[in-house]
Amino acid sequence: MPDTEEKKLVTMKIDGQEITVPEGMNVIDAAEQIGIYIPRFCYHPALSVAGNCRMCLVETNQARKPVPACREGAREGLEVTTNSDRIKEARKDVLEFILLDHPVDCPICDKAGECMLQEQYSKFSLRPSSLSMPKVHKPKVKVMGPTVLYDAERCINCTRCVRFMAEIAKDPVLTQVHRGDHAYIDLAPDKVLNSPYSMNVVDLCPVGALTSRDFRFKARVWFLESTDTVCSECSRGCNIRVDTYKGEIKRIVPRENPDVNGMFMCDHGRLAYHEYENDRLFTVAGTRTGDMNYTQAVNRISLQLLQMIKSGMPPVVILSPFMTNEDAWVAIFSLKVLANVNVFAIGGNAQGEGDDILIREDKNPNTRGLMTILKHFGIQPVSVKEAIEQADNGMIVFGTRHAWIDEIAKKIGTLDFGVILSAKATPATTKAAFALPVPSPYETTGTWTNEFGITQRVQAVLQPQQEARPIWQIVQDMHRGFARMQTFTRVEEITDILMDKGLIALDDLTNTGDDITVEAGK
Amino acid sequence: MVKVKVIERPVPTVSTEIYLKEVLKGMGVSAKHFFQGITTQKNLVTTQYPEEKRPYPKRFRGHHRLMKREDGSARCVACYMCATACPSHCITIEAGEREEPYIQKYPRKFEIDYLKCVFCGFCVDACPQDAIRMDSDKHRIPAYTRQDEMAGNIDLLKLGGLSQARQGGKWS
Amino acid sequence: MNWNIVLAATIKWVFMVLVFGLGVAGILTWVERKMSAVIQDRVGPNRASILGFRMLGLFHPLADAIKAFTKEDFVPDGANRVLFFLAPLIALVPGMLAFAVLPFGPGDNLVIANMDSGIIALLAITSFGIYGATLGGWSSNNAFAMLGSLRAAAQMISYEVSMGLNLVGMFMVFGTLSFSQIVYAQGHLLGGWLPEWGIVVQPLAFILFMAAALAENKRAPFDLPEGESEIIGYNVEYSSMRFATFFLSEFFEVVLIAAIVTVLFLGGWQIPWLDPKGIAGGWIRVLQVGAFVVKTLFVIWVMMLARWTLPRFRYDQVMKLGWKIILPLSLLNILVTAIVLAML
Ligand code: SF4
Ligand code: SF4
Ligand code: SF4
Ligand code: SF4
Ligand code: FES
Repeated sequence: MPDTEEKKLVTMKIDGQEITVPEGMNVIDAAEQIGIYIPRFCYHPALSVAGNCRMCLVETNQARKPVPACREGAREGLEVTTNSDRIKEARKDVLEFILLDHPVDCPICDKAGECMLQEQYSKFSLRPSSLSMPKVHKPKVKVMGPTVLYDAERCINCTRCVRFMAEIAKDPVLTQVHRGDHAYIDLAPDKVLNSPYSMNVVDLCPVGALTSRDFRFKARVWFLESTDTVCSECSRGCNIRVDTYKGEIKRIVPRENPDVNGMFMCDHGRLAYHEYENDRLFTVAGTRTGDMNYTQAVNRISLQLLQMIKSGMPPVVILSPFMTNEDAWVAIFSLKVLANVNVFAIGGNAQGEGDDILIREDKNPNTRGLMTILKHFGIQPVSVKEAIEQADNGMIVFGTRHAWIDEIAKKIGTLDFGVILSAKATPATTKAAFALPVPSPYETTGTWTNEFGITQRVQAVLQPQQEARPIWQIVQDMHRGFARMQTFTRVEEITDILMDKGLIALDDLTNTGDDITVEAGK
Repeated sequence: MVKVKVIERPVPTVSTEIYLKEVLKGMGVSAKHFFQGITTQKNLVTTQYPEEKRPYPKRFRGHHRLMKREDGSARCVACYMCATACPSHCITIEAGEREEPYIQKYPRKFEIDYLKCVFCGFCVDACPQDAIRMDSDKHRIPAYTRQDEMAGNIDLLKLGGLSQARQGGKWS
Repeated sequence: MNWNIVLAATIKWVFMVLVFGLGVAGILTWVERKMSAVIQDRVGPNRASILGFRMLGLFHPLADAIKAFTKEDFVPDGANRVLFFLAPLIALVPGMLAFAVLPFGPGDNLVIANMDSGIIALLAITSFGIYGATLGGWSSNNAFAMLGSLRAAAQMISYEVSMGLNLVGMFMVFGTLSFSQIVYAQGHLLGGWLPEWGIVVQPLAFILFMAAALAENKRAPFDLPEGESEIIGYNVEYSSMRFATFFLSEFFEVVLIAAIVTVLFLGGWQIPWLDPKGIAGGWIRVLQVGAFVVKTLFVIWVMMLARWTLPRFRYDQVMKLGWKIILPLSLLNILVTAIVLAML
């Protein structure tokens, strides 16, 4: 988001190094550009400046006392010192002050390991406490809302959470109560922290004061293995990092991507992985046609499909906007060009509510990509209702989540050729003639194109289990007997074809932004 | 200053080169031990193991034990420090939540895989709660099945006792 | 054929070889372990028990025997089965035959075959022992066993020469090849007080003979054919009773060598300074046989002491010792003896 009005450039010095930055840029950001990290708690690039923690104190040539760097704007001739003995001492003092009443219950604190207080204390202070009287006690384990717990003793009163709720979530339910060493954050009277963005305060909170109820005690953060991918829950396609422990997804946090989601994401996206924890379909289920394995199933499907085409009675196809562009391309190419299917519909979740922060009305990740590819093949999709009505010959349903799943299930139960590719066991999979397991969005690799036309790479966080195969592979196997079928071994080959044809543009792939949870370790 | 004892290389002399005298000297030493052994038996160092047992050294690292609070629950707060420090990755912890706000966390499952444990004692050093110790004066007895080699919460707590350390530190 | 002679010889053989020789060899398996333990300040085997009696571990040889009999008799693939089966016997039998010429006491009754050429016969018979080790190793079809047997062959042949040459001095001094007469001759007192034992008249020969005999016996410090730490040796493929036979033959040879040393160098059954006329009838015989046994056991003890004191030689050292030191010294010994005898 480039600034429209050009700012005046000024030259200043930080630790003796000269740097030219726009006038008014705060010193923390300016120092970061030349690789100098100024410790901070309350400053956050997405929020307004509060300047209350005093961790970022620096010396300048224009003031006798140290000043907070987050409040200091760049101006001509400013000289900043961040590493003088005085500043080092000041940081130790500030940390001792912040830690005075801090319970230091890191062993049971979910933040431990990515806690800014821990990191900055060990990096800048290590001075023992000189407290000689009991600590002040404040509420612990306070329920703030459906997703967040609060521990006032750990809170360092940086007000990041308060500012986030007021400025970004636009739901100012948090406020600071009491004074002095009794101050802590509380809910405004009769309010709960239940905004759709409430869990961002967990990431924002520099310490373990606000913690996620979902992630509570599930794993210590240093054991987590992380994969960068894209959220599937609406057509914005927020960039996320999925953390797993022992092969299970434990939490999802946002990654920074100024073009897509900024620094945050919604709670629904964070919790969406629970959708794929139970009732998974891992083996080929074909209750109506008897037990079979994957190879038998695709061979029988292939035979039936050939017969239907010979007799000129092709099935209808219901696509899913959860399919990646690669899946969609292989599926549409095979079914349209090889199997002469004419009727395509786009299923998926129904439209929902959106807002002007992040959440979009379209609750599917790849509707736009799907439309692009359909258009490329000159297909005008029909509605799901029409498709079901025309499905007497047979029906192939892609994907798990469809608003019309009940109608689909009813219809598919009556068909001899009813194929469903699903990640979960649903009524439709038990009734269908063939149900093939496919990976969940967290086990999928490929690309999705969001509502704004930005195509982003999706990474498999976990590997597909048992008989589950990527959709493009299943479709490919279903068309083994067909002439002119091009086979792929890696999904990247399909991505390359899509890029060659100009259907997606990946080169400006903005999928590598930093995550916002850990700042101090830089 | 480290004291270094310098041992001179023996210089070969005629009598050592002839070897015979040295042989007899060596046999003399053997004979001395022989007669001491069969008469006084005082120099024999063997411990007759099952009947006679040597006391464990003070800092012997034996079977782990989980220490208890006054109410009998484990002091462990499932912080995973031991599991993190463990070089053989043999500690499996699953955390549970308890009501009480100052402790909050407890190990729903705490399992040590003794097939992997190397008895290094790192877990004991890592524990911030004095919750795990290896001073039980007990060997880990080998078992016949893999399953029996896993010691869970209950086995470990059975060996546990009260700790003098105040949990939560001095001023909490 | 005179059946009485055969019967008498059989009875004597049973007592001398089976009861004394094998009996002592069996117990030696225990002594070896116990003695090594005590020398090394340990307790040694003491666990085998019958009805709770442990007898200082004396049941261990018994337990070993039971074990050896009940273990699998393993023959490696590609072994020469006939030689493989024969080898342990070849190792054991010459030792048993050699006992025939050793006098346990005075007169013809306490020796199986009082041969005039006793020493030559003994050397001839014991030379056969080498075949046991060599064939055993060769027939096992195992590289390590082969190495062991090669070492055994080279080592035993080398030392056999010196062993024989050392005895030459003895013939020259005593002027006979018969064991019995050598023992009788050792009954003299030189100058009225010093017994004319072989060790006194041929001290150098005694030392060289002991060394050569230890080498013949393949025991530490000359246990290269076995070389447990490197090649396990010629008996690496042997198991159960066949291995036990090799094991036993080794100890049997210990007894044999101790007996030969006693007879040749320590005056055999002679008890110096004892006037035989002062003791009534048969008791003197008992005492003399007892003296022989005690002397033999002492020599065994000394050999054991050497075995648990000295480290193993390197192979080149063994060869050097045999050919460059012991052999020339033996020849020198003969020369000196000849000169001295000529001057007297
Ligand atoms: S907030 Fe940080 S320092 Fe405080 S208890 Fe949690 S991890 Fe420890
Ligand atoms: S709860 Fe966290 S973010 Fe909010 S004021 Fe306290 S420390 Fe800051
Ligand atoms: S003793 Fe060492 S190996 Fe065993 S559990 Fe503790 S840390 Fe792990
Ligand atoms: S380090 Fe101590 S308190 Fe933490 S999990 Fe291990 S035993 Fe429990
Ligand atoms: S970061 Fe500047 S005062 Fe907190």
